[in-house]
Amino acid sequence: LSVALRGTSIADLRFDGQAIRTRAAEADRDSVDGIVPDLVVEAESPGAVAASLQWADQHSLSTVIRGSGSKLHCGAVPAAVDVLLDVSRVSRILQHRGGDLTVKVEAGARLHDVNELLQQRGQWLPMDPPFADCATIGGLLATNDSGPQRHRFGTPRDLVIGIEVATMDGHIAKAGGQVVKNVAGYDLSKIMSGSFGSLAAIVAATFKLSPVPAASSTILVPHLDADAMGRVVEAVSASQLEPVAFELDVRAPLAGTPEIACLLRFTSFRAVVEAETANASARIAAVRPAFRVLTGDQEREFWLAYRRRPWEEPGIVVRASWLPGSIGDVLSMVRNLSREAAIEVIGRTGIGSGLFRIDAGREIQLDVVARMRASGTFGNVVVLRAPAPLKTREWVWGPATASASVAAALKRELDPRGLLGAGRGPL
Amino acid sequence: MTDAFIADLRRIAGDDGVFSEPLDVLTYECDALTHLRTAPAAVVLPSSAGQVQEIVRLCAAHGIPFVARGHGTGLSGGATPVEGGIVIALSRLNRVRSVDIANRRVTVEPGVTNLEITRQVAPFGCYYAPDPSSQQVCSIGGNVAENSGGAHCLKYGFTVHHVLAADVVLPSGELVQLGSEFADPVGPDLLGLLIGSEGTLGIVTSVTVRILRKPESVQTLLAAFDTIDAGGAAVSGIIAAGIIPAAIEMMDTLAIEAAEAAVHPGFPQADTVLIVELDGPDAEVRALFGMVEDICRRSGATTIEVARTEEQRARIWRGRKAAFAAMGRVSPNYYVQDGVVPRTRLPEVLSRIRDLERTSGLRIGNVFHAGDGNLHPLICYDEKIAGQAEQAEAVAAEILSYCIEAGGSLTGEHGIGADKSQYMPKMFNDVDLSLMKRVRDVFDPGGLCNPGKVFPTPRLCGEVPGPYRAHPAERAGAAERF
Repeated sequence: LSVALRGTSIADLRFDGQAIRTRAAEADRDSVDGIVPDLVVEAESPGAVAASLQWADQHSLSTVIRGSGSKLHCGAVPAAVDVLLDVSRVSRILQHRGGDLTVKVEAGARLHDVNELLQQRGQWLPMDPPFADCATIGGLLATNDSGPQRHRFGTPRDLVIGIEVATMDGHIAKAGGQVVKNVAGYDLSKIMSGSFGSLAAIVAATFKLSPVPAASSTILVPHLDADAMGRVVEAVSASQLEPVAFELDVRAPLAGTPEIACLLRFTSFRAVVEAETANASARIAAVRPAFRVLTGDQEREFWLAYRRRPWEEPGIVVRASWLPGSIGDVLSMVRNLSREAAIEVIGRTGIGSGLFRIDAGREIQLDVVARMRASGTFGNVVVLRAPAPLKTREWVWGPATASASVAAALKRELDPRGLLGAGRGPL
Repeated sequence: MTDAFIADLRRIAGDDGVFSEPLDVLTYECDALTHLRTAPAAVVLPSSAGQVQEIVRLCAAHGIPFVARGHGTGLSGGATPVEGGIVIALSRLNRVRSVDIANRRVTVEPGVTNLEITRQVAPFGCYYAPDPSSQQVCSIGGNVAENSGGAHCLKYGFTVHHVLAADVVLPSGELVQLGSEFADPVGPDLLGLLIGSEGTLGIVTSVTVRILRKPESVQTLLAAFDTIDAGGAAVSGIIAAGIIPAAIEMMDTLAIEAAEAAVHPGFPQADTVLIVELDGPDAEVRALFGMVEDICRRSGATTIEVARTEEQRARIWRGRKAAFAAMGRVSPNYYVQDGVVPRTRLPEVLSRIRDLERTSGLRIGNVFHAGDGNLHPLICYDEKIAGQAEQAEAVAAEILSYCIEAGGSLTGEHGIGADKSQYMPKMFNDVDLSLMKRVRDVFDPGGLCNPGKVFPTPRLCGEVPGPYRAHPAERAGAAERF
């Protein structure tokens, strides 16, 4: 393979005396927002990841790190990508300590594979993100992506207890540890969370686990108007119910009436799930007598489809947050916006965070995002998926916050040449 | 430190906000790790974030090191002053800024106590989850610095899981908000980095925490065992059954004896007692509590006392939470350790500690968070007996080496501080520490913000210079220095 990267030879891309695997990029499977990288590096070990970063740094090559590529659409359009560093082969499950409820895995391991193994032993890494079938551990941590059960278990940053990262100087450093309780040293896993691969490459991480619940059930309350949704939220919030998921599901057609639903999921031992479902049903019936209870395969399939839904249909996908008590404002804003665009929301009611799919012409998509940012109802509005021509850095990530100067200083320290992420942001 | 500098501090914080006389600064010489003491050149008590900024800017301009201090309850010397530096005591920043029940959050200044947050929201059926034993007196600013946990962090996590945003004065004097009032702040999680950084990255002047709805039901039991292994088997059995209790705490004979002497919780005479607390919906607590009782019995519990009333439950926790202070009843001095081991390695590490107790001749009590493997060995000594204090320190170091060998950590919740910084290389190599140091330098390039903490230094501040002297236990071969 002969690739000329600004005259750089790949002969010195080596680790442990061995050449690191490389190949020419293919437009259909390796491009980043239409930009085809000059070279794909397929690292097969943490050491090879570190060596690749050092090599890229020495030769000033802009580098995008990829796990399975399920979230490669996030971020601004890069000017050019010299190297696509594929870490999907760095994927060993290093250690599962069942009695300690911990697992250590390499960054390229797929959540699905990790959980398949853990489930055989009655445990799981409690994450249910949108791309659960292919998302890798490293990608989940770097994007801090999560799904409905965030309500109970938090996001990856809440579950990680140790991390190993490869830095641009070719070193592998660790922070945290193997135990669930540990405050020794700085928790560097946190700065990787939300960095979208712009500070260093995650090569391995250790997580705390949860027991696989014996039973599950979901209450689906459809056909709510904004007022009834507000009352359901109030009834649940005032109770001492402890759902694992508490969702807002809105489908607002262009210039039509929004279909609003609320979802509550309980998981635990069977008797507990039954009691909680009955308790919740009684409270919800006081607001809206017509609801369904899903269990078994029907429930499983429902949630799989639910998590995929915003990603499978056309439009831009935006992540935005709101204050949990302002659900009424959120719904009225969605209704207003739906006068010019079809809008779909799936969101975490108790946390105040959701995905918004906005289907409209490009001018209107820009306008909807601008209105969300200006509204005061929403914060941290980030565009996760959009056509490349729209994706400027500022539009994707939103206006800089007061702490941006600190984050920028961190970027300068860890990646002084500004190579990692190829300018896609957030750093 | 010049008189002009002190005068500038007075101009910022007022005459009643600055102390520099030796007698006035005495209180600030140490935190709750009392054997590390350094007299600060001055103590300043700002009453606003703006004043904190001005003080920090002044320090930056003059190259004066500063140490932020909450209520001084830290157990690792994280607030030990620096020679020639000042202490910025945040006790006057003690206002509750907002209680927002609808959005489940409270915003407070750093000097507000942990328990005060729960007091503010209790009338609404809510509470603040992290509950360090010192929660009645410890400050939320200190909790943020140390990433405090508590007995219930097994189920509910630590401070880092409950803080949404913080205003922070950086070592440059710049005031920034880390985190966000909204979920999912954009960019790397700098708030998560700050929490647990032991006051080395900045000074928090406002903290917004998440509050939780009180669980519907709480049930607590106290089980007694003849051996620590039997107690340990019960802990493993509970976890293996898929149950995550709100808390699982263990105490050994010496700790039980001390607690009895101090607060009379009515604990049974036993080798080991286990406190298990479940909380959550009624149905869940009822179902799981029966399972927990069965597991304890099958593991060899000699007695099981179930708290039938809130008073009984409070009494059990009083015994547990008083255990540290109660050691004063059975020993003139004691040294608390905070190492962590993987839960499954508890029996092995505890048995090594008991061997060490025999060989060292020092009594070692054990009170610990068994659910998450966080040990709190209490090493008893008498400082009036020559060499015993040093021996206790060497024994503590030996226990830490057991924890590290078992794949654990130097500290679960007390922090590294000045106390354990020299042990950091046991857990982290040069590459790890150098990356942490680079991150620190981004925030504090001048090295003025709580220097001498967390990172190993050739010599600790306050340590007597001079040739290295081996500890008696080292000379006796009972311990090694790392």
